[in-house]
Order: sequence, then structure tokens, then C-alpha cells
Amino acid sequence: MTMTPSLIIFAAAYLLYWAATTRYDTQMFQQNSYRPERWRRWWLSTGEWASRSQLLSLSSAAIFAFTWHPALLYAYAAWAAVFAWAEFSMRYKIRLVYTMRIKRLLATRTLLTAAAIALTASYAPHWALSVAMLLTMQGWVVVFDLINRPVERAVTRWYYNDARRILRSMPGLTIIGITGSFGKTSTKHFLHRILSEKYNVLMTPGNYNTTLGVVRTIREQLKPYHNVFIVEMGAKQRGDIREICELVHPSIGIVTSVGEMHLETFGSVENVARTKFELIESLPAGGLGVVNIDSEAAARYGCRTAADMLTYSVDNPEADYRAGDIGYSAGETTFSVTTPDERRDGFMTHILGSGNILNITAALAVADRLGIPVAKQRTAVAQIRQIEHRLSIRRSGGITILDDAYNSNPAGARMALDVLSRFAAEGRRIVVTPGFVEMGARQYDNNRELGRHIAMSGCDMAYIVNEVNRQAITEGLRECSFPEERIHVVATFAEASARLAATMRTGDVVLYENDLPDSFK
Amino acid sequence: MKINVGVIFGGRSVENEISVITAVQTMSAMDADKYNIIPIYISKQGHWYTGDKLRSTDNYRDMKRLLSEVEEVYLRPIYGDNRLYRVRKPLLGSDVAATIDVILPALHGTSGEDGAFQGTIEFTGIPYACPNPLASANGMDKITMKMILKECGIPVVDYCWFSDKEWLSERDATVRRIEAKLHYPMIVKPANLGSSVGIKAVHDRSELIEAVDNAVTYSKRIIVETLIEQLKEINCSVLGDYYDCRASVCEAPVRSGEILSYEDKYLGGGKNKQSQGMRSTVREIPASLPQQTTDFIRRTACDTFKALACDGVSRIDFMIDQADGSIYVNEINTIPGSLSFYLWEATGVPFGELVDTLIDIAFRRKRDSDFKITSYSENIFAYQNVHGAKTGGAKR
Repeated sequence: MTMTPSLIIFAAAYLLYWAATTRYDTQMFQQNSYRPERWRRWWLSTGEWASRSQLLSLSSAAIFAFTWHPALLYAYAAWAAVFAWAEFSMRYKIRLVYTMRIKRLLATRTLLTAAAIALTASYAPHWALSVAMLLTMQGWVVVFDLINRPVERAVTRWYYNDARRILRSMPGLTIIGITGSFGKTSTKHFLHRILSEKYNVLMTPGNYNTTLGVVRTIREQLKPYHNVFIVEMGAKQRGDIREICELVHPSIGIVTSVGEMHLETFGSVENVARTKFELIESLPAGGLGVVNIDSEAAARYGCRTAADMLTYSVDNPEADYRAGDIGYSAGETTFSVTTPDERRDGFMTHILGSGNILNITAALAVADRLGIPVAKQRTAVAQIRQIEHRLSIRRSGGITILDDAYNSNPAGARMALDVLSRFAAEGRRIVVTPGFVEMGARQYDNNRELGRHIAMSGCDMAYIVNEVNRQAITEGLRECSFPEERIHVVATFAEASARLAATMRTGDVVLYENDLPDSFK
Repeated sequence: MKINVGVIFGGRSVENEISVITAVQTMSAMDADKYNIIPIYISKQGHWYTGDKLRSTDNYRDMKRLLSEVEEVYLRPIYGDNRLYRVRKPLLGSDVAATIDVILPALHGTSGEDGAFQGTIEFTGIPYACPNPLASANGMDKITMKMILKECGIPVVDYCWFSDKEWLSERDATVRRIEAKLHYPMIVKPANLGSSVGIKAVHDRSELIEAVDNAVTYSKRIIVETLIEQLKEINCSVLGDYYDCRASVCEAPVRSGEILSYEDKYLGGGKNKQSQGMRSTVREIPASLPQQTTDFIRRTACDTFKALACDGVSRIDFMIDQADGSIYVNEINTIPGSLSFYLWEATGVPFGELVDTLIDIAFRRKRDSDFKITSYSENIFAYQNVHGAKTGGAKR
């Protein structure tokens, strides 16, 4: 195969194009949790299969099977280079994380791609460019991941066994599991703060709430001086929680809520409940299960466990731990908690939202069990700092920002709007939201409800991001007579921010409700 | 998994050997099932070493040989780096001699007890079981200690203080100032050394001048106090932190001469030739005192501990003027000899439990500090004021 100038130019452009498409392909696979089924659904539903890069790759593969005319080579080189430049200039919210697994995947892909092109170039040269372009199409990442599966399985198994060995060497470690459709991360933070009054506490960080995340936390962060390990457990399908419990064997478990999250994988709320309660059902005799009975589906579920059970709620007299007497004043929320032995203790916190009072109550139930004196519970609760993006509050140049970007469920949104409505704002109340996603059949209704709540919370302006829930939210707003001219529709958060920056005045309060992952289109 | 405890001792101070004794005693009392004990010795030249040979006092007779049988190490003052690095990097193998989860200091005197060492460890972020730089410095310096206690209403004797340069350049004026404030007999001390070094009782002007001339060879800061002639010394240890602490039983060390001398403290004990540190001083535990006096001393010891913001275990030395029954705080030792284990054993806390408590206090302090905001993640250079007026720059 002679290297003509046009071929050389094309090869250079091809390298950049290959790098760009490979990175994007891999990134989206990572964001879909390395699950082929999930990836496929995303690929089809977002229209990725018909994207411009696919068109480029496919059309060029077809054309280069027949002709390698220099003009075509230059044309495609230009298109590929432009595409690559665009891709590399993109600012993604969640970038590709180069974990060891990704590195192995990229290594396999690079090797096999190079081998395929080289082989074709040697034995069937006129197919070489077509093969090269075909290999830039999306979806190859699934194939290469499949090839790497045996290696990954072995590596994962080794890490898993290592984590198990570490846990066995710390028999005195108290392990607490927290799960729920929402509220688990906040509860985890609150529990960590309160138990730290007496113990050296480790909690799984950020969103490490999968089995592998827990394995990594154990191997990288668990130290011999830790007395308590709080494990946040997330689930995308049945059996996920049980899998984590089989590794860590918690003695205490908290179920914060059962809601309508990830319905497209679970199918029904009953299945969600069954999965969450895998935690409680795995607890040993003498252990403790703590359940939120304000969450209907959680209260309804009849679980069988050997452990002791405690329930918590705001105001329900049947609950073991009952929060009540909630009062709001400038920047402070006060409340009381009544314990099973009828002791009533008063607390103060700077955290916003009634849902968080529930979360704190759950943490206090565990704190009682682990022997934290009430006086220390009180000082800890008073010092709890807000968690970023979970109804956290920020002031910037005269404007108050309520950042609830990490909340993605209706109950949380209701709570945030409640806080917004109570806010003593001199200026306007503004909401920026794309609505809820991944709610299966309930998505439209939930978003319409959201529209209604926004209207009823005294909001002055509503910015609806992305068209996915535009219709549903607008319908809800209109049903409650929200003025049409106050509804703004934008394509992205960036656009919303730009528009706001132009019109904002001192004293305004803006609520950012929910965020969308980059893989969302 | 065992907790890695770095026991650090020795140091560039006159109490280097005492510190070795404290450390060796402590290491033998620690639970080897719970802890991985890492001895770290600081030589008189200020170099750090680690190795098992450091755990027996016999090996210290021949320093040259000992230092050749252990390896030189160092810590990096980088936050989060808890590794003990080898000075001599091996060709094959790791250049990390050990990782340290918590430090148990057994250093006495200058650079070890005065906050210098503590400051270094603060840089690394490793939890450590002794008072922080502030409390260490104030506890070590007799002048600042008395200033703070006086302000908190805790009884201390009258005192007068000055610097070496002040003495050397304005001696007569200083003498007059001292004599105006205090009356003979007095006691002259370098402000920031331990263990009775440079300390002298004086009964008239010529003795005063001689004593201060001697003291300034040891220190830049000098304190002169009223001497209590009919003196009874009582010591009391305190264990805990700046919020929550308890006192041990009291002890009455028996002494030779007017004050407990270096010889009394460390080389006394008569028949027993082997140096056993504070244990060999003849002492009475618990001290036979009226209950009221004991209660007052124990309460005041805790008040002193808190006023100076201490953590860990300290020993507070009191003076009772038997002429009129007044009780004064003399000084505080923020890392006491032998960690005062003998006082705690008499109080019902065995040495092993004492060490466990110290390590727990170290971790607790680190936890509490981690919850305080020490820096903001925002970069103020990147911040743009929404209205633009303050920056004064051109509008975009």
C-alpha cells in the first residue's frame, strides 16, 4: 500500500478521529455503569445510533470500499478532524475517569484495532480504510469489554477477597448499612458526624455505593483504628443490596425510604421495597434494623428479620423514634425527638428541609444504640454542616442560591419547594429544573405534579431545562394558573444560567432542582 | 489489623536519657496484640532512627554501636503523608520503613515538650498523644504559664521575669526591680528548661547575681520567684482533653536538700543502681494529706490543665507553704517522666489502659479538628463579583 499524500493526511486525521470517538464511546459506557443492556437502551432512546459521527463512520466505510480518490480522502479527513476537534473541546460535566479497568479496556481496543487494520492492509488492502472507519463506530466498547471480561472477573475477585480478608482482620468493627430510594447519603453524613463524637468512623465516600465501591473503600481507606464503618448501599436491580451485605455483614441497617426511583429496571415499587429490605433481612440476631415509616411503601413491607427493629417518623405516634415540635427561625430549625422509653430531647440544626429532620432522627436512633450520650448528640447535630448540592445554601453577590442539584425524586423536590416558599426573600423566587427522569411509566404524572407544586409554592419564575419533561411540567403549571410569560424554556443549564445572570436582582432566591447526567440527551 | 504507633523519644535536650527510659517503659506496657510498636529515637544531634534494638535500655550504653545497628529515618512535613522514610534508599525494596497511624511522644524538655516537635507533626496531620503547640509552649515556659494561670485565678507565687540581654545590659536596674517586687529568699530559674537544670535558691543579692549569671548561660528568659522555705511538694497528674479530664491521686516526692535535684530525680534510690527514672525517687503515693487539701489540689490540677488547653497526660507540681498552708501551682509537665504511670496505677488505671486512653485522645482530637474549617476550597482569585464594581476593572 503506497502512502500517497492524501493517504497520509487522512491517516493523521483518522488518528485524532479514532481517539475522539473511542473516548466518547468509552465514556458513555462508563456512565451507563458498564452494563450493555443499559447502554443499548440509552443508545436507542437518545438517538445516539443516528448521530453525526455514526454517519461519518458508516458513509466513509461504504465509500472507501469502492474508491480512495484523493479528493474524498481530503474531504473525509477534514470532516474527521473537525469532528475530533469539536469532541475534544466539549466540556463534560462528568468526564471519563481513567480507572484501571478503563486502561485495560483501552489497551485491548488499541491493540486489536491496530492489529485488525494491519492485517487487512497486508492481506486485503482495499478494505483497509473501510475496516478502520467501521472500527470508529459506537458500540465497539461493548465488544471489547466482553473480551476483557475474564480478566476483569479475575481482578474483581482478587480485590473482593482482599476486602473480605481485611474485614475479617477487624472483628471488633461495627458495620452499619444505609439504603433507601432517597435520603441515604444525607443520613450517612449525619450519622457519621454524630458517631464521630465517640468513635473513629469511616463512611463510603461520595457515590461509592456499589459492591465494587465498597471493596475499594475497604482496601484504600479502612484503617486499623476505625471502630465504625458506615456503608451506603445503592441498588439498580434486585440482589444488589444482598451482594454488598454478603461482603460486609452489617449488624445495623437503616432503610430511609422506598420510592419510585429507577422504575424502568425494578418494574414496580414492591420490587424496590424488596430490594431495599434485603439489608434488614440480612441482619443477624442481636442486630438492629431502623425503618422510616413515613415512607408508605417502607411501612407497608412486611419484612422478616432476626434483628431488633425500630421505626422512625415525624409525628406518627406509632413510631419508636418520633420527631416533632418542628420550629423554624432565622437560619435555625429546632425539633424534639421522643425515644422508645419516652425520653424527649430537644435539638437544633442548620440543615434545611423537613426530610432532613427525618434523616437526623434515623441517625439518632443508631447513636442511642451505640451509646452516644444525648449531650454529645446535641452538640453534633448543632454542628452538622450542609452537604453540597443537597439543598445547600450559598450566597453570591446579593443573590441566594438553593442548590438541590443532587436530588432527583419528587419527595425531595417537594421539600425543597417548601423551603423556598418559606424563605424570607426580598426579591423573586425562581426555580430552575429539568424535572425527574428515569421514572418509567410514572414520569409524566410526577412531572406534572412538580409543575403544580412549583406554582403553589409562590414561585415568581420557572426555568424548565431540556425538553424531556417540558410538556408535563408546563401542564402542571398551567393547571394552577401560573402566568404563561413567567415560564421560560431552555435547552441546557448553561443557557438558564446565562439568562438568569442577565436578569437577576439583589434579594432574589434561585432554587436549582435536580441535575441531568451528561449521557442524557 | 494492628494500629501502627510511633513512639518518639530522645531529642536534643538535657533530658534525652530520661526520655529513653520513659519510652522503654511505655513500649513494654503497650498491648502488642492491639498495636504495632515502632520505636523512633531522636539522637542528641537531632537525627532520627528506628529499629528493634532501641527497645532495651542496655543497648544505649554504647551509642555508637547502637546507631550503627538501627536505620536512620525521617518524616516529610507533607499533610497526609504518614510514612517513615529511610534516609538510605535500598536498591531493591521500599524506601518506606513504616507507616504511622498515631504518634505517642515520650520526649522531655527542649524541642520535644516546648511545641517545636508538635509543630512538625501538625504539618503531617498524623494524630499525636500530647498537647498541641500552643499548650506545649505555654506549659514549658514558666513565665507564660504563670501569666495564664494568674489570669485564670489559679494560685501561683509572686514572680518577676526578664530576658538575658536585659540582665546583661541593665543588671543593677533589674536587681532593683526584682528586690522591689519580691523578698529574699528567692529562687532563680531559666524559664524554659526542665528537670531542675540551672535552678538555684538565693538568700541575698550576691547569691542572686551569681545564680542569674549562671541561669543566663542556659536560657534567654529568666524567672525569679519567691522561695517557699517550709516547702512540701505535691504532684498530681491529669488525663484527658481541654474539655473532659480527671485527676490522679497525689504524690509527695521526698527530697534531699531544698529542692528536688537532678540527682534526686533520676539517680537517687540508694541501693538500686539501674536507672529507673522517676520510679527510683523515694516518694509517697498517695500523699498523706487532709481530704480538703487533696480535693483542692486535684480540682486545681484539672483547672490548670484546662486553662492551658492541654490534651493527653500531664503532671502538675504543687507547692504547699507549711508556714501558712497556702497552696500554689509550681509548674506543669506536659509530657511527664514515665508518663506518670505510677500515679495512674495508684489511681486504678493500669499502664496499658493509660496508653489506650492516650491514643484514643489523640484520635479524638484529630476528629474534632477535622470538623473545623481551616481553609476554603474556593479560589478567591477566581471569584468574580456579580456587580463588578469592587474589582474596579473594565466591564466585560
